Amino acid sequence: MESKFKVGDAVIVASENPTGYPRTPRYIRGKRGVIGLVHGVLENIRDHRGIHKPLYTVRFDLSEVSTCHDQDSIWVDVHEEWLNGVRQDS
Amino acid sequence: MSGKHGHKPFEGHMHDFEAHIRAVEEDLEYYRAKRFEPRIFYLIRRGVVTFSDLLNARVALKRSNQFFKPRKPQGKNIEARVRYLEEWLDEYVKGIALVSARAVEAMDMVTEDNRKERGDYDDFFKFKKKEHKGTLKQRMVSLEQDLTDYQELLEVFVQALIKRGWSTRRELEQSWKQLHEEHPWAGGVIVAKAWTDPAFKQALLTTGREALREMGVHQGKVGKLVVVENTDTIHNVVVCTLCSCYPYDILGDTPWWYKHESYRTNIVQNPRACVQEMFQLEIPASKELKVWDSTSDVRYFVLPQRPAGTEGMSEEELAKLVTVDSLIGAGYALEPSQQKKAMKLRAAPESPRVRPD
Repeated sequence: MESKFKVGDAVIVASENPTGYPRTPRYIRGKRGVIGLVHGVLENIRDHRGIHKPLYTVRFDLSEVSTCHDQDSIWVDVHEEWLNGVRQDS
Repeated sequence: MSGKHGHKPFEGHMHDFEAHIRAVEEDLEYYRAKRFEPRIFYLIRRGVVTFSDLLNARVALKRSNQFFKPRKPQGKNIEARVRYLEEWLDEYVKGIALVSARAVEAMDMVTEDNRKERGDYDDFFKFKKKEHKGTLKQRMVSLEQDLTDYQELLEVFVQALIKRGWSTRRELEQSWKQLHEEHPWAGGVIVAKAWTDPAFKQALLTTGREALREMGVHQGKVGKLVVVENTDTIHNVVVCTLCSCYPYDILGDTPWWYKHESYRTNIVQNPRACVQEMFQLEIPASKELKVWDSTSDVRYFVLPQRPAGTEGMSEEELAKLVTVDSLIGAGYALEPSQQKKAMKLRAAPESPRVRPD
């Protein structure tokens, strides 16, 4: 399975995805971020039986996902079905 | 810093008994409600054991057959009793590892199953944790009773598995022995090598687990390893906001606070305030703070900065400066003077345990 996004792509996390990977945390749902790392499809047979969609680490501004305004960042692992591309300038 | 290293057996004197007791309480309830009891339910639902098996095993259980034999307190003073509780908890946790899915033949269970069973995705399945109240002495008495009870259930569960033929006494004794073997702590070994060998550091940061292959440390098997480097401009912190994912298969167990909801919530809401309040760690404004939330198949650890005043130190000496906290980003590696002071205060690092997240 080829990864749809590349490092630097702007993305928005889906708000709801009842059929996808279940562990996308709530605080990033509907939030905008940028692809930081591309991991592709990872096998982890001790953790789960099925194969998940490609995995990315997405960088979020702290202020995007919380009420804190420090210039820091939160990096979260998100699977592809949760991500939609957005135009950089939108 | 004494209270932040979980329940590990303590060397030297303790300064804050309450912090130690709290760590035992938190860890004990975590392991009971998140690791052990959901596993029993999982296996009962699948007919691997039944409640009747447990009852029968309880009746047949002989003291001489028991795996867990915590040492009695060496003295009557409070420090010896705290230490006793910590060692006892450690045995309980090893006991849970003993009956973990992978350790018992024919039990095909993955971490994901345990997450479902314990209610990670559905509050309906959550196991309520016990609250601890009263004076320190009352809490210690209560912990002794809990450990007695929880340990007995674990023991009964082991016997029931043997009785039902899911494992043999010999196999389990072998695993029990392995769980008690001492290994050098991989965290210190890996970081010290990265500090002294630029090529290894580069490999570690770019290839993760691959770089560990030739080192002779436990390489681990769970997911992809990503090592994030602290620099003059970046401070990294690791969390799993959903449970407690961490490369435990390489680095051993995390401290109790890593699994605690307050850390898992606050670190992504206001990270600077969180590390300041919980760990008295002031991150300079000149540094960007990056929080890594391990929600899937990647496991992270932090490569701390090499402390000042360590020029000319051997890898072996450097390894002693590396704390569990510093690999999570909740602390810096110790300076040599701090290390000497901490020698008598710090817990012995642990070897990795065999158990799912």
